[in-house]
Amino acid sequence: MTAARVAAGAAAALSIAATPAFAAEPVSFTPAETALILRHGPWPQPVLRDPSNRVSGSAAAIALGQRLFFDARLSANGAVACASCHVPASAWTDGRKQAVGLVPLDRNAPSILNAGLLRWFSWDGGADSLWAQALRALLDPREMGATAALAAGVLRSDAALRCGYWAVFGGGAAGDERMLVDAAKAIAAFVETRTSGRTPFDVFRDALASGDREAAARYPVAAQRGLKLFVGKGNCGVCHFGAGFTNGEFHDVGVPFMVAPGRVDPGRHGGIKRLAADPYNLLGAHSDDPSRASATKTRHVELQHANFGQFKTPSLRNVALTAPYMHDGRLATLRDVVRHYSELDLERLHTHGEQLLRPLKLSARETDDLVAFLESLTAPDATAAPGAPGPVAGCGP
Amino acid sequence: MSARRRIAAALLAGAAAFDSAAQSCDGPGKRVESDRYVVAYRTLPAKIAVGEHFAVEAVVCAKGASPAVEGLRIDAQMPEHRHGMNYRATVTARGAGRYVAEGLLFHMPGHWQVLFDVEARGRTERLTTDLVLE
Repeated sequence: MTAARVAAGAAAALSIAATPAFAAEPVSFTPAETALILRHGPWPQPVLRDPSNRVSGSAAAIALGQRLFFDARLSANGAVACASCHVPASAWTDGRKQAVGLVPLDRNAPSILNAGLLRWFSWDGGADSLWAQALRALLDPREMGATAALAAGVLRSDAALRCGYWAVFGGGAAGDERMLVDAAKAIAAFVETRTSGRTPFDVFRDALASGDREAAARYPVAAQRGLKLFVGKGNCGVCHFGAGFTNGEFHDVGVPFMVAPGRVDPGRHGGIKRLAADPYNLLGAHSDDPSRASATKTRHVELQHANFGQFKTPSLRNVALTAPYMHDGRLATLRDVVRHYSELDLERLHTHGEQLLRPLKLSARETDDLVAFLESLTAPDATAAPGAPGPVAGCGP
Repeated sequence: MSARRRIAAALLAGAAAFDSAAQSCDGPGKRVESDRYVVAYRTLPAKIAVGEHFAVEAVVCAKGASPAVEGLRIDAQMPEHRHGMNYRATVTARGAGRYVAEGLLFHMPGHWQVLFDVEARGRTERLTTDLVLE
């Protein structure tokens, strides 16, 4: 989208009449509202190659990574795979309140859809690359509990994986840790390909940009009203920013972070501390980016007291498919989430919290409209299973 | 070319222009001043985008008989939101009153204040400038 097109789209207030199927009062958008709406696109966005991962974008690595993503032998008990918590049919999450690895975990499993567009990974941003995040899940004794020896053993003992590994990473006598990191980089290459397609909102947004009233009018009026609330009274786009509907950063939105009596989830505060101690962060020896230019965020991120109890702003794309919600899955439905912001308990905000959130005090219809808008962010392909992994040259089917 | 490499290339290209600007703080870019100091600065890239790292190239000049500048710190905040950046800028002195701050990132649209803390003779004087990020 060029600036000129945005300007043209925003030049005049648009009143979008509904088709008979959605008969209701038309919704009009001011130029300012239109400009705010347009910045949530265009979609899809290109997923750029990760310079810290030398096999990012490699077809052979993607195929190997897909096999590893679904392989439970990479866990300590042989029963937990990446796909155990990131289930394709569940929009690559698991539908549980809190994820279950080798043991029950504290947080909700985020979808991996469009993860290649993110800056930080996990609810606490404790990983700064997709491959570091894969390593975190593989090695965490509560998640998959793998070791370098276990991962390397799987890669060496399975003929198809061994051939795939050699095809992607070359021959030579790689040590266990090198093979573990390579496996994570192949998994990351696969995860980068998990993107979701266009949604009813994207069609509306592009129609608004081009002034195509007929196409815009096909967007349900309730969703239009919800969108108007989203960019207006709700001011939701400040954090749920851009085409991905996330600013990629961390906020305290008044969700309690007590995990159990006497035990809290420190959120971003713990994430930054973990990141700093992570031997697999982008400043470390395992990054394939010799310039370390991709590590700018890691080099400059600052641990602050206010980080305590902050969690990452999740993308809203496909959010209707990823219940339950919030970092600990405490809210069962989208309506519950909207109600959370409508009746926000300011007492629960951290004392150093931002002065951005206010109870929205939404009416029942406004709540319905916001939910209708959020449901319009669903892509038809979000629950599609991936095709069979592609063949790797010289490794058979 | 990555954003960081673009910033590095722009820094090199702009160094000569800022060398001469350092003499008077009349160089390209914007100015913010107090009774005692002037900061001329520009961002690299020129247009800041939400969620994208950027750098600030600054020249600091003392007015009249004000104490000579010994250092500069650069930070930013959103006053209405009561928060700053999530990233700490690294400021490097380049001589002749020139400084480069790297690693800044504005993670939200809206009203930001860039803070220039000029250090001279054991005191710090803060100069601020406002910008609205869309």
